[in-house]
Amino acid sequence: MSAGDPLTAPQDEGPRRRFELDDRGFDEVPRKYRKYYRRWQGPDDELAPNEVLCPVCKVVVRSARELRVGDRIYCMACMTRMRIVRDDQGRLVGECEY
Amino acid sequence: MAEGGADLHQMDPEAFREHVRSFQFWLDAVEGYLEGTEYGHQPDTPEAILEPLERDRLITVLCNYCMGETAALEGAGGLIAIAPNRATKVFLATQTVDEGRHLEVLVHRLRELGVAEPELEIDRRASPKLKSFKIRLHEFVHGRDWEAALFAQNVILEAMEFAVFHRHARTADPRTREILEGIIKDERRHIGFGENELGRRLRGNGDVRERLREVRRELDPLVLGCFEETLASVGTPSDERVDLSRSYVQAVERLGFA
Repeated sequence: MSAGDPLTAPQDEGPRRRFELDDRGFDEVPRKYRKYYRRWQGPDDELAPNEVLCPVCKVVVRSARELRVGDRIYCMACMTRMRIVRDDQGRLVGECEY
Repeated sequence: MAEGGADLHQMDPEAFREHVRSFQFWLDAVEGYLEGTEYGHQPDTPEAILEPLERDRLITVLCNYCMGETAALEGAGGLIAIAPNRATKVFLATQTVDEGRHLEVLVHRLRELGVAEPELEIDRRASPKLKSFKIRLHEFVHGRDWEAALFAQNVILEAMEFAVFHRHARTADPRTREILEGIIKDERRHIGFGENELGRRLRGNGDVRERLREVRRELDPLVLGCFEETLASVGTPSDERVDLSRSYVQAVERLGFA
């Protein structure tokens, strides 16, 4: 889907979309947390509105709700805490919080 | 904890940090990818038929990995004594176990490839730059220099290994690939721990930042030299080698060492 697609374009207002998380086979965290992560398939891997790439270890972190600027998320694979921000191209990305 | 319906991302930051550094977390995490393996690969993974030159090159590369893992094993073990608090000591204990496992499976792989005396072969074939790096790392540990030792080990060495193992796994024979993929999964925790721990310590501490800048200036040539040699040995084109060293550069940039 393109960046302008209303289904994937990030929104900062209105009710948040909810997402059902399923186990995508990410086996590097305890079983009960696996649904929050999936492997990144490379630069062509389109991230959903509830997903962001961990800048430290390049794992896709998933949330049960649409992500917005200011949200805090955790990458358990590398134990990093991130804050969601917009990069200079308007994309939602994770910024490490130490 | 995010039990049942609770959302992991709503967890309290301190509770998260305590949990992911625990032995219980480590046990539950490694179970997912190590269960059923023997010396890092599935017992029925076939041995590849390697040409003599290819086998010899692989042995040299594995000897370098063993030297790096020995540095990390001794480094992580030594860091426990100077770690600032209990949770950090416990995490380093899990990392020490990881590094010991890495060294064991890599030495076992050398034996599978027909190396009769791995210790002698590692000493004979490992890069002098890597040996120098190991000596310097241990000087930091024995000097009880927590920041410099952690920076050298969990940022510089781990970032380099992470990138090199990733690239090598793409073209390796099946057994070596499985071993490397298992190690990479451990390395994610190590690089994250190093970056997070140092990131917290560097906040507003100009003196530590300046000192680590000097450590970086000293160790960069050794690390990037090892990088170059190893990636060339596994057949990585030169332009791709630059891309791979970028992950190390990005890690130090996030810490403010651009």
